[in-house]
Amino acid sequence: MTIVRLTLREAANRKVLLVGAVISTAFLVLFFVGFNVGFNSAAKESDPFESAAAATLMAVLGLYAVQFLAAFMAVLLASGAVAPEIESGRLHAVLARPISRTSWLAQRAGTFAALAAAYIMVMSGAILLIAGIVAGYDAISPGRAVALLALEVAVLVALGTALSVRLSGLAAGIVVIALYGAAWIAGIMEIVGIVLDNQALERIGVVVSLVIPSDALWRGASYYLLSPVYAAATSAENGIPFVGAGAPSVAFILWSIAYAGGWSLVADRWFRRRDL
Amino acid sequence: MTTTDGSATAGSTSDVPPGVMTDPAVPIAAVGLRKTYRDRTVLDGVDLHVGAGQVVGLLGPNGAGKTTTVKSLLGMVHLDGGSASVLGRPAGDPAARRALGYLPEQFQYPGWLDGRQVLATHARLIGLPRSEHDRAISDALHLVGLAGRGGDRVSGYSKGMQQRLGLATAVLGSPTLVILDEPTSALDPIGRREVRDLIRALRDRGTAVLLNSHLLGEVEQVCDHIVILDRGRVVRSGALSDIAVGAEVRVGVARLDDGALAILQGFGRVTARDGETALVALDDVAAVPALAAALVRGGHGIRELVPVQRSLEDVFVDLVGPNEGEDR
Repeated sequence: MTIVRLTLREAANRKVLLVGAVISTAFLVLFFVGFNVGFNSAAKESDPFESAAAATLMAVLGLYAVQFLAAFMAVLLASGAVAPEIESGRLHAVLARPISRTSWLAQRAGTFAALAAAYIMVMSGAILLIAGIVAGYDAISPGRAVALLALEVAVLVALGTALSVRLSGLAAGIVVIALYGAAWIAGIMEIVGIVLDNQALERIGVVVSLVIPSDALWRGASYYLLSPVYAAATSAENGIPFVGAGAPSVAFILWSIAYAGGWSLVADRWFRRRDL
Repeated sequence: MTTTDGSATAGSTSDVPPGVMTDPAVPIAAVGLRKTYRDRTVLDGVDLHVGAGQVVGLLGPNGAGKTTTVKSLLGMVHLDGGSASVLGRPAGDPAARRALGYLPEQFQYPGWLDGRQVLATHARLIGLPRSEHDRAISDALHLVGLAGRGGDRVSGYSKGMQQRLGLATAVLGSPTLVILDEPTSALDPIGRREVRDLIRALRDRGTAVLLNSHLLGEVEQVCDHIVILDRGRVVRSGALSDIAVGAEVRVGVARLDDGALAILQGFGRVTARDGETALVALDDVAAVPALAAALVRGGHGIRELVPVQRSLEDVFVDLVGPNEGEDR
């Protein structure tokens, strides 16, 4: 647990937590104001379904921003997990102690994943709370959504950590962010494929979501964040772009868990074999 | 753990390759260490032994393989051949590092912690009981001359103070073995002297020290054993007194003719000649009496036969070559 403490302290003292908290608080205030104004004007001028749709749109976009911030936090933390520690020489002093490399890496990457997941939990809770108070918003299953988003950051942390064993921190970060962006585009392509009934586009989306499941996990989570009324009335063709229209399959969730686990094992193997 | 002939016995040592002592009382026993990076051989059969309470200096020019040797003992570099045990455990086993302190050549400590917090982290990592933390940390800070600065953030430390902090982590909790890799690289002359005093203090406590350095004077002043590495090989090892003294003798005879020279050349290389006196670099230090006997048998009257005191630097330059220390 010493490395967990050390890593938390690093995050705290490098202002990651402070800056994160300040920006997030500002974001929540902005969201509260925007949601309040937007929902009240929608409620005044439109029918109940339309105001529910407006509430859903604003809540899901707010949560999308949270997902985005958490994903970047996970990538930036994880891509600096190993290489900068070796380059600076900080790692050598610690690994000369009776601690295995596996334990060090698991504690460090685990702390990063936990930080990003905790961020998601707090911010999603705050957004849903604001939407609930202002609009009586009630998502299909916030618990499942948060679990899927936590899995998304776990995927990114595992991948980023593995790459940070082999590449410099900067290069690892760029690769994971590029893959995250590719997944995002592939997700859009999949939806466009569904709308246009183009199977080739759809298939590209599916393949990329297997190569890097981050965006597909977001879409799975976003489905659970919709209000039930809205979800029942829409489908992929007429829903919000880059928001899921259905629950993710069990097979895909299992694949994502295996993906995160697999990259964690790769990270461990690469790290144990590396000369420091 | 070991039989009288030094071979490993069955049981807990079954994972240790043959040839390596697994006696926990032996701080370092390494045999035939080999390491190759792509096509560059960094270690080419290095043997290294550090006995209990010994202070051993590992010397060599830049790129000789000193740091790689040390890192392999700590399990940071994977060997391609040979075997090493540290404090009775195979090198690389975390248990081998339980009673070991290490100052890396390239050191940096988290700038967001203060000195005491860095040491507290290390105290937890070595499993020091919580009740002993305060005293052990204060002792270590005092020993390296950082008493009074422990509450300052490391980011405000000079490079020299960071190196002192590294020394403090290395001596924290009274380890059995301390490995110091270029421990004075960031220190001024006074700091260097203090480190020499620190190493002597460790020796007085019975702590074994492996000192990695290219500062010959530093090694000469504190080490009792020396291993000289060059291009990944051990070119000389032994007690300092054996290495620095006696490999060369000054021989004065009544008449230094071809016959006398031939006899001298049978025992080594004649490195200098002045009148009837010659300097002979002996192949075997122990051959002085035999040399004397041979001269007498050959009818050469001996005027003087004096072992020449050589500095470690002379030995080092002789072994490694004057111009070969760079670019490797």
